[in-house]
Amino acid sequence: MSETLRQSLDLELFWEYRAVLFGGLLFNAGIFACAAAAALALGLCAALLRVSLARPLRWVGTVYVELFRNAPDYVMLVWVHFVLPLLLGVALRTRIEFHPFLSAVVALGLVYSGYFAETFRAGIQSIPKGNIEAGRAVGMSERLILSRITLPQVVRRMVPEALNIFVSLFKATTIVSLIAVPDLMYRVSMVTQQEMRPLPLYTGAALTYFVVIFVVATLLRWASERWRRTVLV
Amino acid sequence: MGNWERLVWNQRELLLSGLGVTIEICLLAFVGAIIGGLLLCLVRLYVAPLRPVAILLIEFFRATPIFVQLMWVNYVWPEVLGWPNTFFTAGWVALALQSSGYLAETFRTGIEAVPKGHREAAASTGMPQLLIFRRIVMPQALLTAAPSLVNQFTVIVKSSTLVSVITVPDLMFQSQKIVNIWYEPIEVLTATAGIYIAFIFLISQAGKLVSDWLRRTFGLQG
Amino acid sequence: MNEAPCIRVVDVHKQFGPLEVLKGVSFDVHRASVVSMIGASGSGKSTLLRCINYLEVPSAGAIYIEGESLGFREDGSGRRSTRPLREINRMRRDLGVVFQQFNLWPHMTVLGNIIEAPIRVLGLPRKDALERADECLRTVRLSDKANEYPARLSGGQQQRAAIARALAMRPKVMLFDEPTSSLDPELTDEVLNVMRELARAGTTMIVVTHEMDFAREVSDRVLFLHDGLIDEEGSPEQVFTAPRSERCRQFLAKYLK
Repeated sequence: MSETLRQSLDLELFWEYRAVLFGGLLFNAGIFACAAAAALALGLCAALLRVSLARPLRWVGTVYVELFRNAPDYVMLVWVHFVLPLLLGVALRTRIEFHPFLSAVVALGLVYSGYFAETFRAGIQSIPKGNIEAGRAVGMSERLILSRITLPQVVRRMVPEALNIFVSLFKATTIVSLIAVPDLMYRVSMVTQQEMRPLPLYTGAALTYFVVIFVVATLLRWASERWRRTVLV
Repeated sequence: MGNWERLVWNQRELLLSGLGVTIEICLLAFVGAIIGGLLLCLVRLYVAPLRPVAILLIEFFRATPIFVQLMWVNYVWPEVLGWPNTFFTAGWVALALQSSGYLAETFRTGIEAVPKGHREAAASTGMPQLLIFRRIVMPQALLTAAPSLVNQFTVIVKSSTLVSVITVPDLMFQSQKIVNIWYEPIEVLTATAGIYIAFIFLISQAGKLVSDWLRRTFGLQG
Repeated sequence: MNEAPCIRVVDVHKQFGPLEVLKGVSFDVHRASVVSMIGASGSGKSTLLRCINYLEVPSAGAIYIEGESLGFREDGSGRRSTRPLREINRMRRDLGVVFQQFNLWPHMTVLGNIIEAPIRVLGLPRKDALERADECLRTVRLSDKANEYPARLSGGQQQRAAIARALAMRPKVMLFDEPTSSLDPELTDEVLNVMRELARAGTTMIVVTHEMDFAREVSDRVLFLHDGLIDEEGSPEQVFTAPRSERCRQFLAKYLK
């Protein structure tokens, strides 16, 4: 028991493969960046649909949000990777395959756009009507009101929640190994098969993710709090 | 429509048994997370010497991806602790770990949200501290936490799809098994996604009802 | 009055860090009498009330309930030892408190709020507690709301429920900490009327209030606090019509116009 415990904490093996494993972490970061951009853009569109004045548009927005917000990441990933190309192939009458990286970005982008849409919507609806009326009263155009009054407030209000979603999204990128994107977890399982020593490798992976996510999230929260305090009053 | 009948309707027993396993493992994980979360929260708030340990565990459970935790519990724990000894156990334990970190914080928020005056009103009738905690503070904290609890259950259901990776025969596992038999993924995977989305949608609607009810009946903001 | 005072406050000081909120306050409250404490906010009157119940522990001085000290025991030779919390809790049952913010427990019905302490603290059988609750609810005229949760009641109803909750402990003294200050003006009367009836029925009461007409009408004694000290005290006629202290005169002039 104490021997296995010592082995499990002996992260030397993990360290030996650091170059390979670090390369894997870059895949996590890359997918995160692409999916986050997609999720923000799609989320903003969906939120605008949900607060639009036309009822059918609101409906489309609601269905979109509920569909993706309630879909498990992994189910979505598998569906996008294995089903979506087939459907597109039928529609376009050709054979289509998605690169795993693309599937990962599309799937995570869709799911997390649902979360962002809700956050945007809550932010938009929390702006007091009086703010907008005050803008109109001094003769600002609707576009000017949106860009100078509404959006800046929405962004500030949604920062803490958006950070939480970013953290979730980064954590979710670990499942892309399941469709063979060579990220950190994928490489850990490859090395494990070679070395037959899961203990130090999985412990090392868990610690690496913990440190990266915890440190980055804490720094971002701290920085955003400072920023919010300086711009908000 | 023939494909839907052959690949989904005729496979309904397999899919339903998978859904059963999903519900079972999620409920186990949920109960485990509530107990674990309460323990972590109480230690963090009231057991000063162990406080740093509780904080470290809470942060670790919250900041580590569920998939990584699942692999860690499944491959590392048995060698170090000799437990869990089945994939099913490893599955719900990993799910419970992640959620216990979040729930610990939910409970803490709930406890700290109880107005000081409610405690003073109890103290002024001569109630001892432990009784005040049990009868006045904890029930309110649990009510305040209820909507977040329901929300956390939806997170557990979403994460539970990953236990198929360690061969726990849940809905996702059975669905992929059907795909691997017929090599026709469209219908089965779409149906599976639909079932999950509907299931999670229903739970989160129930959560909204719960928080409406809390506001109407007790004036509590969940 | 030759009997021992129900409550005796002796030279109570209270310090919050460098701030001395009470600078040595003494007074007696006799059985079946009503003592009102008035004064500007920050004068220390609420802190004094909280000290009487040991919700705030006085920095110095003593509180006696029917001759027994609340904070410490004195043995035959006059040596003092701090009372354990358990004993303080036992003595607190004799002091019912009504708070400015009502502090009803939101997860229990009105009835649940009232029977909670009689059952769990006094150990009354449920049946007896319910009878008591019934009686208290009639006193505050809230019998029809027994099974409502506090959130469904108006502020005035909530405060009357809180009074019933305090009465159910059959306390020797009722302490009121600005009971109408967070109520809309049109709701204060229903609470003050209940308090008038309690006074008429011979309840011993200490009331911190800004309702000067009420204090004048109901009190046997009025204390005017200023800056942590009793600046003026006497019968209502004396304090309200012929105050000796200039500060008290100014204070009343502001309130009685």
